[in-house]
This record gives sequence, C-alpha cells and structure tokens, in this order.
Amino acid sequence: MYELVEAIIYYVGIVMVILGGILDLIASIGMNRFKNFYLRLHAATIGSIGGGFYPLIGIGLVVLTIHSLGTMKYYVAGIAFTTAFFLLITAPTGSHALAQGAHRAKIVLPEPAVVNRLLEDEEKVEGGE
Amino acid sequence: MGLIPPIETTYTLLGFATGLFILASIFYFIRVVKGPTLPDIVLAIDVLSYDLAVFIILFSVLCNSPLLAVGALPLMLWAYLLDMYVAKYFMKKELGE
Amino acid sequence: MAFEPPLCYILLALFMTYALILTYKTLVARDLVKAIIYSAGQAVAYTLALVMMAAPDLVLAYVAVGVGMYTALFLFVVSRTERYEQEKIERGVEESG
Repeated sequence: MYELVEAIIYYVGIVMVILGGILDLIASIGMNRFKNFYLRLHAATIGSIGGGFYPLIGIGLVVLTIHSLGTMKYYVAGIAFTTAFFLLITAPTGSHALAQGAHRAKIVLPEPAVVNRLLEDEEKVEGGE
Repeated sequence: MGLIPPIETTYTLLGFATGLFILASIFYFIRVVKGPTLPDIVLAIDVLSYDLAVFIILFSVLCNSPLLAVGALPLMLWAYLLDMYVAKYFMKKELGE
Repeated sequence: MAFEPPLCYILLALFMTYALILTYKTLVARDLVKAIIYSAGQAVAYTLALVMMAAPDLVLAYVAVGVGMYTALFLFVVSRTERYEQEKIERGVEESG
C-alpha cells in the first residue's frame, strides 16, 4: 500500500516537472514573439504559474521519493512547497501592479485599440481634479 | 516492488527538465536585452528570476547537495519587491506632477 | 553525479555572459531607471553564478543587496533628480567660457 502511494506521488511529480519545463519554454518563445507589452503579460502569466508553480510542486513531490538524500529530502521539499506557495501569491500581484503602473503613467498604450475606456476615465478623473 | 523506476532514470528526467529551463532562460534573456520599453525589461527579469529559482532547486537535487536549495526563496521574493518598487515609481512620478 | 565538472563550467560561463552583457548595457544606457533595472538583472545573473560555485551563504547576502536594497535606494535617488542623462557639463562649459 505504501509503495503504491509512493509510486503515485512519484509519477504525478515527474509529470508536473516535465510539463512545467515545456510550458516555460513555450512562455519564453511567446515572450519573444508577442508585439506589445500587454500581450507579453499573457506569456509572463504562463511563465510564472505554468513554469514556476507546477515544477516546484513537482520537485517537492519527486524529492520525497528519493531515499538516497536521507533526512535532507524533507528540507528540499519544504523549500520547494514554500516557494511555490509564495509564488502563487506574489506573481499575479506583481504583474498586475506593473501593468497598472505602466498604463497609469502612459508609458505603453495598447496599440491596435478601437476604443480605450480606461484611458478616457483616467483623463476625466485627472481633469476633474 | 518495481513500481518506481531506478534512481538513474529519475536523474535523467530531471536533467532533461533542467535543460528545458536553461533554454527558456536564454530566450527570456534575449527579451531582457532588446526590450523596447521599461516595463518589458522588468517583466522579463521577473519571469527570468522565477525560472532560475526553479533551476536552483533542480540543480541542488541533481548535484546531491541539498544545502544549495536555500537561495530559491529569497531570489523569488526580492524579484517580487523589484516589481513593486518599479510600479510604485511609475505611479508616484507620473501622477504627482 | 548528473552534473560533472564540464557541464558546471559551461553553465557558469553562460551566467557570467549574462552578467557581462547586462553590465555593458548598464554602462551605455542613457535612461537612468533602465540602467538600474539592468543592474538588478546583473545581480540575478551573479546569484546564479554563486550557486554554480556552491556558495549559498553568499547567495543570501548578494540577492538581498543587489536585487532589493540597491534598486530601492537608487530608485529613490533618481526620483529626486532627473531621469535622463544629458550633456549638461559641455553646455555649462560653453556658457561660462
């Protein structure tokens, strides 16, 4: 029974690591092929969640089944799970704050845009003050 | 008994994933170098540091020396603070005038 | 075991190449905020180089200073002065002389 649970943990973990590597490669190619900053945010989301969160959980699960590390496997697994948890909280917050700051400061604007209601509202608020 | 493959297969698969992360870091670095505007560079450095934090833990497992893995968490958290600093600079600088 | 010495040295050379290119971009940048962000990327590359050389204690210090404190301090300084570097010294010399 214990061996079966260990095998399930191992296979889920190794699949998550390989899937995370492939997703990270896809995100890095998309980072070079998208034309605008707001389009590159999609690639950054894939690179942070798909390429950071999934492989960290996968490494934490795989390391628990490597018995040659001794007691230190709990150390590596704890670091991997803690990093994955904080990454899940902080990566969307950071990219959202960066996009909001870039749009508010008018550094980059969405180029092929028919109508931009957010920019009109911001100008209305600034003019009203 | 034979549910889990031997340890060499595990190390081979993890080494393959490490190669994928190194290749991804090269493409992210190209975006860092030729990013036209400032938010592009910050975003690329952000994702590059997340990528390399994963690489640190994979490297420590592959080298069989787990004490190297301690650098992943500070790298990720300080990259997040870099993001927040730059966003705060944008808001304060351009809105204050 | 999976990372024999030649592969380690190749990765170390790769990360030091990142650091070299970013240092050159820092030197030639006219936008000071862009120069600060390039320097933060150089700190990320140095962090990975220190991991390659198996020094996790230096990683903890370098990533806090290079990515976090340096960027915060210099963004604060640049927000009090001008953002773009100009040829003010030559013009000042011409006006006075």
